[in-house]
Amino acid sequence: MSDIKETTGLSRRQFLKGSGAAAAATALGTAAAPSAQAAQPPAAQQVPGMGPAGVKITLQVNGRKMSSTVEPRVTLLDALRNYLDVTGCKRVCDRGTCGACTVLLDNKPVYACSMLALEAQGKEIRTAESLVQGAKLDAVPAAFVRFDAQQCGFCTPGFVVAMKAVLEQNPKATPAEVEKGLAGNICRCGTYEQMRDAIYSLCNTKRG
Amino acid sequence: MPWPTTRRVIGTKVSRLDGPEKATGRAKYSYDINRPGMLHARILRCPHAHARIKSIDTAALEKVAGFRAFHIVRNAGFECRFAGDEVLGVCADTEEHAEDCLRAVRVDYDVLPHAVKEADARRLGAGQGTVGSPPNGPQNPANAQPGGDFATANFDEQAYQGTSHQIEGTYGVPVISHQCLESHGLVAEWNQDQSELTVWASTQAVPNTANQLAQNFKIPAARVRCITHYMGGGFGSKFGPDIQGTVCAELARKTRAPVKLMLDRAEEVTVGGQRPSAYGTVKVAGNRQGDIRAFEVDCYGSPGVGGGATVNFNLLPYVYVTVPFVKRRHQIVRMNVQTARAMRAPGHPQNCILTDQALDDLAAALNMNPMELRLRNLPPNDPNALKTAPNTYMARRNSIYRSQIEIIRKMCDWDRAWHPPGRGDGVVKTGLGMGLHTWGGGGRGPNPTRITISADGSVLVQSSSQDLGTGQRTVTAIVAAEIFGLEPTDITVQIGESQHGPSTPSGGSTTCPGTAPAVLNAAEAARTAFLAAIAPRLNAQAGDLVIERGSILNRANNERTPWRQACARLGQNPVQANGDWAAGLSDQGVGGVQVAEVKVDTETGVVRCTRFWAVQDCGLLINKLCCESQVAGGVIMGVNYALFEECIYDRATGRQVNPDMEFYKLGGIQDMPQIYVHMMDMPERGVIGIGEPPTISTAAAVGNAVFNAIGVRVEHAPFTPERVLAALARRK
Repeated sequence: MSDIKETTGLSRRQFLKGSGAAAAATALGTAAAPSAQAAQPPAAQQVPGMGPAGVKITLQVNGRKMSSTVEPRVTLLDALRNYLDVTGCKRVCDRGTCGACTVLLDNKPVYACSMLALEAQGKEIRTAESLVQGAKLDAVPAAFVRFDAQQCGFCTPGFVVAMKAVLEQNPKATPAEVEKGLAGNICRCGTYEQMRDAIYSLCNTKRG
Repeated sequence: MPWPTTRRVIGTKVSRLDGPEKATGRAKYSYDINRPGMLHARILRCPHAHARIKSIDTAALEKVAGFRAFHIVRNAGFECRFAGDEVLGVCADTEEHAEDCLRAVRVDYDVLPHAVKEADARRLGAGQGTVGSPPNGPQNPANAQPGGDFATANFDEQAYQGTSHQIEGTYGVPVISHQCLESHGLVAEWNQDQSELTVWASTQAVPNTANQLAQNFKIPAARVRCITHYMGGGFGSKFGPDIQGTVCAELARKTRAPVKLMLDRAEEVTVGGQRPSAYGTVKVAGNRQGDIRAFEVDCYGSPGVGGGATVNFNLLPYVYVTVPFVKRRHQIVRMNVQTARAMRAPGHPQNCILTDQALDDLAAALNMNPMELRLRNLPPNDPNALKTAPNTYMARRNSIYRSQIEIIRKMCDWDRAWHPPGRGDGVVKTGLGMGLHTWGGGGRGPNPTRITISADGSVLVQSSSQDLGTGQRTVTAIVAAEIFGLEPTDITVQIGESQHGPSTPSGGSTTCPGTAPAVLNAAEAARTAFLAAIAPRLNAQAGDLVIERGSILNRANNERTPWRQACARLGQNPVQANGDWAAGLSDQGVGGVQVAEVKVDTETGVVRCTRFWAVQDCGLLINKLCCESQVAGGVIMGVNYALFEECIYDRATGRQVNPDMEFYKLGGIQDMPQIYVHMMDMPERGVIGIGEPPTISTAAAVGNAVFNAIGVRVEHAPFTPERVLAALARRK
């Protein structure tokens, strides 16, 4: 059977060979031998073997470097909450559906439950906690407070971060565009109506 | 003392005091508590819907990295009766290791027959039951048992006499989940000599949780402290420590370390509570003028595996309680899923579904506007109540509903927008539907509240009551601010700690009516004590002093002393006073009317709820902003109930296939209607709770709107595209 060329230019056979070598290296707990590396595509070369025991990680969170030792399987969300005591991102569905764990990763909103802590190293992580300096609230959480767009508040930091992301990317976003940016977040108390008041206010648009 | 007749803060829109903390993620919920040296616990659960434990082998636990302790909940021989029944708790140094521990325990089961669908459970006869045998009772009695029959005298002979129109319809709602975003759970920590226990628990009943743990561990109640500063939703499912509370505290005791045990999402959905299903066939009959004469219902529902009630079917016909002839038959169908828990207005939405949808079907048969049918059949104001308690729901129900219907008629432009069922043009058809509801929401004590005024001008209010997200903290500050001439932000509120004394659980919309009167009484007592303390230092008679906005006025000489300066005269002795709930400041019983607008795509079956109107009374409004939030939130929960939510159980495995948030659907912001809320302020009635009522009639209103749009009844919620298309096909 002939190799199937992928769009990446990496053939199926090359991929299997590469990942097999990486797995072998992991099992030995050593770097792959140079001769094996030579046969590997560049992508596979860069996969270091680590774990299953704890690995020292450093994350850049809300402008601060924070370090801990976590197993490679630990998600970014669990690293933040359980190892670094950054609890503004909440664990609710833990499966990338509800958005309560939304954080900004290099200014892009991501579900912290759906990526590994290791993958987030070297990136700028921002959580809802960054949206207040002393008593000065950022405009987004301030609008949530003013229009009562929160009840139990457990989903709120995720919504606040998601909304912040939309408005940072496009300060002229329309209310409909902001709503679309919140489509990956779920609230159980039912604060969407008040959230719309907050959105219209942030978009300087009068609600019809 | 009654409520102040002129109100400066009470009844206005006040942003919640804890809003900034919550919106920026700084508020610490129980789930967020991390203690030094804290361990993590998980619970191993029975994977079978019905099975007897043969053996539990924990030997491999010792080899798991990080393992610290286990605690067996159920021993060999125990009959697990739903998938999710607790078997054993285990704790380890990290959550990941605790997860590994679960996989290391080997439990063998004798798998037994189960039933997880109401229809299957109803078919099982005596001796075939799957929900266990009562002690000294028959072996495996049938899962379905009579839930009580009722008939008005001479129903069979007279009910249908003189009626010209009769409909028979089938309606129903499935088992749904509370889906609290903060799952059930806690952090437990003992002191050094293990004589005192502190828990940070996600609970709607702070002192109750502490007391139950004290009983379980046989230590004095005063030695258990429960802290719930912030709480991520309960909706009726969180009234005590539950099994996981005891397991967590037991593991903390064994390991002499703080332990956290929060349910994961699958556990939250499968064991954290459910709202019972309700299905029924309803016959309603009336005369040509639209006077309903007879209401006959044969219904059933499932409370899960427990033996409790499903819904209080005695409420049928819901709201229209003066229909002359009523016949009810109800069956309680137990099945192998978790036992039901109270969920926001327990029983009421189901009763409303079974009543209000049947009414619209009768209106269609009569060729009548359903709003007119309702106006014609509203229960009258109760003449006896009018004499003895003229402000109560019973005394005023007809007037309340009439005025609410009048308001909503204008708000939604009903007279122009409503059309006879199925008369819309085009592929996407628009419909309007309505529903009515009622709820108690009365308060009670004890809710002892302590207020301290200090020389620095600060005012501290303390009670053990909890804020579930309703804005209880802010309500407390508003009442105190009103009495002291201050702003709510000037008041420090400490709640959610059991050491502040007893308080009533937050269930049934009772918190605001149970605590606001207590705060008022405490504030008035504190005001009296404060004025008495400062009068000599202001060279005044206490009787001449009154509190104005921000200052104390001496009426004898018209001198004003600013609040802070007056407080400074207290010196080293703060003023402290207590107050509790007392009758006369709160009441119970509300109405409520809702109208839904939907658009139904007759090609895809997709229903969108586009606009929604809600008119709601709750007596004296304390915080209008949070009242409106409660109503809009209740409506959204009801729209979810109507269109999206269902616990789907797999007949073969007996397990729920959607114990998550991916396939257990909850609407996002783009799925929800624009909501127009009108709050009726009725201060003469005192404070009445607002949490439950606004979610009750929503699903019925949506169902009626769908019927109005397409002219055919979709029998069972959620009104999914598949069901809508099936209903449309039936019509053709």
